[in-house]
Amino acid sequence: MDIDDILASVDRNDVSSPESAVLDHQLLTRFWVAERGVSELLPWPEALMNRMMGRVRKQIETIEDLAASSSDPASNNSNNNPNINLKLSILQTDLSRTQYLLRCILRQRLSKLTKHSMHYLLRVSAASSSQHPDSQINTDQQQPEDSIPDLTNVLDPSPLSAQELAFLRAHQTLLAGHFGASFLSSFPAQLRRLDDNAGGVSMVQGPDGREMVFVRCLVERVAVVVPPGDGVEVETMGTEMRMGDVWVVRWEGVRGAWERGEVEIL
Amino acid sequence: MAFPLPRGITPPEISFLAEMEMVTILPRQRLEGLELLGGPVEPLLPPRRASLPLWLALLLKRQRRANILPPPWLHPESLSLILDIETQHHEYEHTFSPPPPLPGQPSIRDHGQRPVAVPRYTPDGGRYYPAPPFLPQNVAQDHIPAGEPPSLPFHWLEVGTMLLDAASDDLVDPDQTRRLLKELREVRTAKIRSGVDVLDTASTGGGGVALTGVGAMEVGEGRGFIAGVIDGLRKIGASKEQARREQMAEDMANGGYGATQDDDDDMEF
Repeated sequence: MDIDDILASVDRNDVSSPESAVLDHQLLTRFWVAERGVSELLPWPEALMNRMMGRVRKQIETIEDLAASSSDPASNNSNNNPNINLKLSILQTDLSRTQYLLRCILRQRLSKLTKHSMHYLLRVSAASSSQHPDSQINTDQQQPEDSIPDLTNVLDPSPLSAQELAFLRAHQTLLAGHFGASFLSSFPAQLRRLDDNAGGVSMVQGPDGREMVFVRCLVERVAVVVPPGDGVEVETMGTEMRMGDVWVVRWEGVRGAWERGEVEIL
Repeated sequence: MAFPLPRGITPPEISFLAEMEMVTILPRQRLEGLELLGGPVEPLLPPRRASLPLWLALLLKRQRRANILPPPWLHPESLSLILDIETQHHEYEHTFSPPPPLPGQPSIRDHGQRPVAVPRYTPDGGRYYPAPPFLPQNVAQDHIPAGEPPSLPFHWLEVGTMLLDAASDDLVDPDQTRRLLKELREVRTAKIRSGVDVLDTASTGGGGVALTGVGAMEVGEGRGFIAGVIDGLRKIGASKEQARREQMAEDMANGGYGATQDDDDDMEF
């Protein structure tokens, strides 16, 4: 713990302050750009989303109150406030812009989830339970639904939110049932699974971490890393980016720096 | 199915992002301060200047409730200076003119100073370094420090086009400005095209291609092509890269850790 972290705990102002609204808006915008630019699902920013949803709810109430007071003939305050329509249109435009950001983030995440649904299901279940129930291997009644992992004791659904996990599970159950009913039931029982890895090749595809992204370096220097793999056990460093630079690099090379907030996705 | 748009923000979304840039306006009527989701808006009291997000400034401008003060770079004089740097300066023959510095980054004038990034802290304890569109790169400045060369902000094309569209009567010589913006755009697009040769560096692990100074819309335009080329080259070179990595693993096992990467040459656009 260094002095910056101590300052940070003092710096954390309360959520209702205007400074916090500005900061959250900027964080949400940056997260939106990143979620749109990266091929894999980013960790769900639970706290930020809760704060934003709370603010949106409050803002809708404010707008409704304002609209009610302007249309109320009894109070007839159109004389002392001629700008009420302008105010309402500004508030509504601002609300729609924020709602667009939120909606776009959620839809982008759903699209990533449905594209690689088995990958994320296996990732979440692998993170929470170490042992795999191998009981259903030898049954002749193998169904495609059996490949959906048991998610009842998942405590931390990261990188998904709890709602996304529920959606993903329901989605995959429907999909597996549909596949089973339409063609997998006529296959031999051992070929019905959706997570087969016969021959050492897994049929579950995930997002490609090597796809390129555009990043801007926000701190003094950030090195592009090459994660371990292909026999090399340690992380090695590649090109170094300087502050303010814009680079085209592999996502896996800057994922760590992004998590620390040292680069932003463009 | 759930979402039809391709990866990476699309040009309409880039414009949406550019509308979050702060600009300076001269209000023509009073309006009390508002609490928006994007942050509070200061009360408008003519003739006092105010800083507003671009979308709000354009909304007020279209209703003739305010005038927009153009940013210092959106001036024929500044633009032709930047155009000179882009075309005449041999140092920037293949690169873009330098972007405005981030907070804590020394400007071009004081070369040699070390940059110091000063983070802010999020309520979750993470570090946050502000970047465009949340930097005051498009607000009017009364006195520009002497010797400070003008520079194009990240959202130059979008902000310039939107201001020319909606507030051309507030700009100095809009026709000349429009012509210079078009010329800048052509010069810079040619640089992106001529830089295709070095895209190979970004397709290897740990490598990358620098595009410093690029504009948001230029990233958006080039994204499809650049991503396609790099990802294609990466797939073609995948087996070669794997062989190189395995060779490296062998070298490291033999104690010869030193020859890490050979792609550190300064490849720039």
